[in-house]
Amino acid sequence: MYGGGNVFEATKFDDLQTEDPAKLAEFEARIARGEKIEPNDWMPQLYRKQLIRMIEQHAHSEIIGALPEGTWITRAPGFRRKMAQMAKVQDEVGHAQLLYSAAETLGKTREQMLTDLINGKSKYSNVFNYPAFTWADSNIISWLIDAGAIVNQMANAKGSYGPYSRALERICAEEAFHLKYGHDAVVHMATGTPKQREMIQAALNRWWPPIMTFFGPSDKMSTHTETLMRWKVKMASNDECRQQFLDMYVPKIWELGLTVPDPNLKKNMETGQWEFTEPDWDEFKRVINGDGPCNAERLAVRRTAEERGAWVRRALLNPKAKYVKPLA
Amino acid sequence: MSLKSLDPRVTRLNLPEGETPAIEPKPELDQFETYEAFHQKKEGAAHTYVGPVHAPNEDVAFLFAKEQYSRRFACVGLWIARTEHIQVTPYVGDGENVYEMMRVVEEPTERSEEAEAYEIFHLKKRGKAHTHAGRVMATSYQEALQEARNQFGEKGPIVNVWVVKSKHVLQSAEEDKDMWTTIPEKKYREAIAYKVMDKITKYKEEHKTTAL
Ligand SMILES: [Fe+2]
Ligand SMILES: [Fe+2]
Ligand SMILES: [Fe+2]
Repeated sequence: MYGGGNVFEATKFDDLQTEDPAKLAEFEARIARGEKIEPNDWMPQLYRKQLIRMIEQHAHSEIIGALPEGTWITRAPGFRRKMAQMAKVQDEVGHAQLLYSAAETLGKTREQMLTDLINGKSKYSNVFNYPAFTWADSNIISWLIDAGAIVNQMANAKGSYGPYSRALERICAEEAFHLKYGHDAVVHMATGTPKQREMIQAALNRWWPPIMTFFGPSDKMSTHTETLMRWKVKMASNDECRQQFLDMYVPKIWELGLTVPDPNLKKNMETGQWEFTEPDWDEFKRVINGDGPCNAERLAVRRTAEERGAWVRRALLNPKAKYVKPLA
Repeated sequence: MSLKSLDPRVTRLNLPEGETPAIEPKPELDQFETYEAFHQKKEGAAHTYVGPVHAPNEDVAFLFAKEQYSRRFACVGLWIARTEHIQVTPYVGDGENVYEMMRVVEEPTERSEEAEAYEIFHLKKRGKAHTHAGRVMATSYQEALQEARNQFGEKGPIVNVWVVKSKHVLQSAEEDKDMWTTIPEKKYREAIAYKVMDKITKYKEEHKTTAL
């Protein structure tokens, strides 16, 4: 998944006063007991809206995230790596399918989600607005972007919404392969020829700044965030995820003799927290709002695929078909 | 001007550069109807819900579900039912039994002349997956649910029930079993195939790097 960087803004649905107090109490008690919420249950509008937004962004991130790695399939060195890269990309597209269905159970159709993606109305993980210049960039994505995604997904799998948890369980099982595959590819380069080492270091340098923004800016602690945490929609703060990621992966980068392009990066042994140069959040905002090196290309490619397939879908459509949202 | 990409194949698409007008909202059913898929994990096991697929018909739904849900998780059988054909009871809380809570069963709106087969699926706990409980004979969905309650409704918590006519379930055939065998040389897509520790250890010894 690439659902990182979710910014949970307050919405007009934040006002819980308009919700039926008895139903709200029952809903909250269910979550507090550790029970999952299923699609037909009563739920507050804020819960529904935020989950749709989060799961939809996650789905878009999978499908758009498949693009930079997808372009490297034919150029991957060797047949085995081509096959493995292809399997990984296919997994990511499959994740999108699972997630679109999970979001759909909340009442937004796949047609609406795809329209909003192409029209730039819904977001996807900002890191995919950056290019994969070389095979080494693709390796860094496979390893570290997926690693970040896994931190996020493992947390979200414990969330309160049944269909999302079920989808994430499958997804996490597949991610285990992505992570190993990515790590293997990076280790291969880092322990290879001087040219290979140079390539992987350069790719790491390019990807480090986007990676540091992957989990999004520090959460402003507000009643809004507290509510979403109580409802088990948001399972960990962006900073907690970032710290966990650094804890798990910086040592694995350093043991290969690679460097991280941030002179301030170090673990404070007293606080147990990683210290680092604050990521450039202005650039983050600019890029997520459309002005990044690859935004236009990503959406144009998606749009073309949708447009070129439209006549096939029309031809196949059963005239008696009737829309029913998926069950679970 | 057309869009230049690092990927020559994207460049060759000749996509327009710059602002493009928004697309019209996709028409209804552009993504087809949905079907629900159930897997049999191993010989003799009950079929278990794995998730939905979008497809233009049952056969394509079967192929999509096979690709989506069995590509990575071994299975020996697959059932497909159109979402529309599945009747769903209310959900009750964990630990409760929905059969006991349904005091009034509605009068059937449709009844068949003769009894026909229905498949019954139970959800034991919220967040888990519906599992096939068995097959009953009935003349309506409501009667099928009554029958299900009599035959398998008593054992432990059941938070939700799905009822679907057997004729609406596309089932993989016994004689097609070989379609589930995966060739062994696909190890490259398993985590276990990647063993990097030797390379890392060797590198660390030669270069005296440390993790911290
Ligand atoms: Fe994924
Ligand atoms: Fe990924
Ligand atoms: Fe992945």
